Amino acid sequence: MELRTTTAANIAIDSTGKKLALKGLSVLGKLILIGYAVLTLYPLYWLFISAFKTNEDFFKNPYSLPHAWMIENITRAWKLGNMGRAMLNSTFVTITAVILTLVLGILAGYVLSRFEFRFKKVAVTLFLAGLLIPIHSTLVPLFLMMNKIHLLDTYWALILPYTAFELPLAVFLAIGYMASIPREIEEAAMIDGNGWWGVFGRVIFPLCSPIVATISILAFLRFWNDFSFALVFINSQVLKTLPLSLSLFSDGFGTDYSLTMGAMAIAVIPTIAVYLILQDQIMKGMVAGSVKG
Amino acid sequence: MPTALRSKGFIALALLPALLLFVVFVIVPIFWSAYYGVFEWKGIGASKFIGAGNYREILQDPIFWRALKNNLILVISAIIGQIPIALLLALVLVKNSFFSRFIRSAVFMPMVLSTVVVGLIWGYIYHPQFGLVNTILEAVGLESWTRAWLSVPHVNIFAITIPINWSNIGPYMIIFIAALQNISSEIYDAAHIDGAYGRKRLFYVTLPMIWSTVVVTMVLCISGSLKAFDHVMVMTQGGPAQSTELLATYMYNNTFRVYRYGYGSAVSTIIMIISALLIGINYILTRRKER
Repeated sequence: MELRTTTAANIAIDSTGKKLALKGLSVLGKLILIGYAVLTLYPLYWLFISAFKTNEDFFKNPYSLPHAWMIENITRAWKLGNMGRAMLNSTFVTITAVILTLVLGILAGYVLSRFEFRFKKVAVTLFLAGLLIPIHSTLVPLFLMMNKIHLLDTYWALILPYTAFELPLAVFLAIGYMASIPREIEEAAMIDGNGWWGVFGRVIFPLCSPIVATISILAFLRFWNDFSFALVFINSQVLKTLPLSLSLFSDGFGTDYSLTMGAMAIAVIPTIAVYLILQDQIMKGMVAGSVKG
Repeated sequence: MPTALRSKGFIALALLPALLLFVVFVIVPIFWSAYYGVFEWKGIGASKFIGAGNYREILQDPIFWRALKNNLILVISAIIGQIPIALLLALVLVKNSFFSRFIRSAVFMPMVLSTVVVGLIWGYIYHPQFGLVNTILEAVGLESWTRAWLSVPHVNIFAITIPINWSNIGPYMIIFIAALQNISSEIYDAAHIDGAYGRKRLFYVTLPMIWSTVVVTMVLCISGSLKAFDHVMVMTQGGPAQSTELLATYMYNNTFRVYRYGYGSAVSTIIMIISALLIGINYILTRRKER
């Protein structure tokens, strides 16, 4: 696949879109679009109203607002599903893996964009191949491998594969971004007596904040929402991440529908909050990430 | 200025951690699965070398072919469902007005949800007794259309494509909007002078300009559909009677439910080969001859 040198910074969603727009949408067009948006959001709305109903209310009046708002669904689900623990696990695993991805990815991207050395082509090709490898084809061998080195059922069984699979994208986003940093800055920093580590730590990394944002957002969403790795690599109750506990919760309390909906509501709220706050960055990051990937 | 030796040390120390982690956890497993694929192995005890035995068995297993077919259904539904809708939305929402930003963020929202949540919500929506789909059909007098959407073979795999499309249209729309906004207005001015506007402009100017993006989204659809696993695991686990099995769930069920590690590894290798083939075919088909 062709790699573009555009970075998140210059894929400008907000730039001039005026001339290209079909000249003003008709009222009918707007209504259709609103209808489509409502259709898209309806499952989520339905989840939230159902999460606050009694089971009886849920069966009898699937569309209407709850007759009595059952906050207990949420609190009971939180307790029964051990959701606090799951959220802590997800947070710890996600943050550690995001930090690792950022540091290792940007460092590698810097080296690959600035230096000439013998195995550079090999390294770039390897990372490039990594963008195309279907994750699930590695589940079985990874399971066997981590079983052998006693890594299964630890936080590292998630952190290390998450980071490894996110690295190719991070590396290529970083390589693309480095092109926009003038080399003169590094030369100046060297004259000031910095070695390469100093140049990277004091000058380059601080200049990388836009790409740090993009990489973190993509990595956060991927790690926070991951199900398959957690399903295969984690077994013990206390290490389960949010998506994994949620799927088990629905297996265990599957017939208590509104309770399960309550658990889902708990799991969904943080992601939606993050989305509402950062939606522009998330959208830009997704574009940058997928055009590369 | 640092010496060449010092830069060498820096290169090694800065690149190696990333490269090592990546090679150990992404590249090496591919070879491991190719290696394990030629053994009959239950995970414990001795493994037995059986050559191409696993592969032969896979290719003779009708469930494998059903899984492959289901995966292809997902690929096709993604290409004919997600891309055209996303492109249409992008064309009408390219302007940065308040209205279009609002619609965009609504359409994009499902993307940030965990696949488990998406699977569970839609599992309820399809529920035979109280699911939204059936209650709506009853309300409008189409009782005969109601069914157990996730249980009836040949219907359920199509039912599963809808939530997947639901969550993936948003990002493709945003990718298309970015591509459309990258077309410079001079091109449109020139097209206007040449008498291209309306539909003509769409087909002769706009679409060719973003064709490379369309190709990228097709590749994403293919690789994304081959990754489909979570939705099915949550909604049907590949059942009933393995009617919604996908390649990835077929691999998972054979490995972690019946503990045939060698067989599962062989399936993994086949998934790798198929996805490489599909991406290659797509590349050849969509490569434009000019330029």
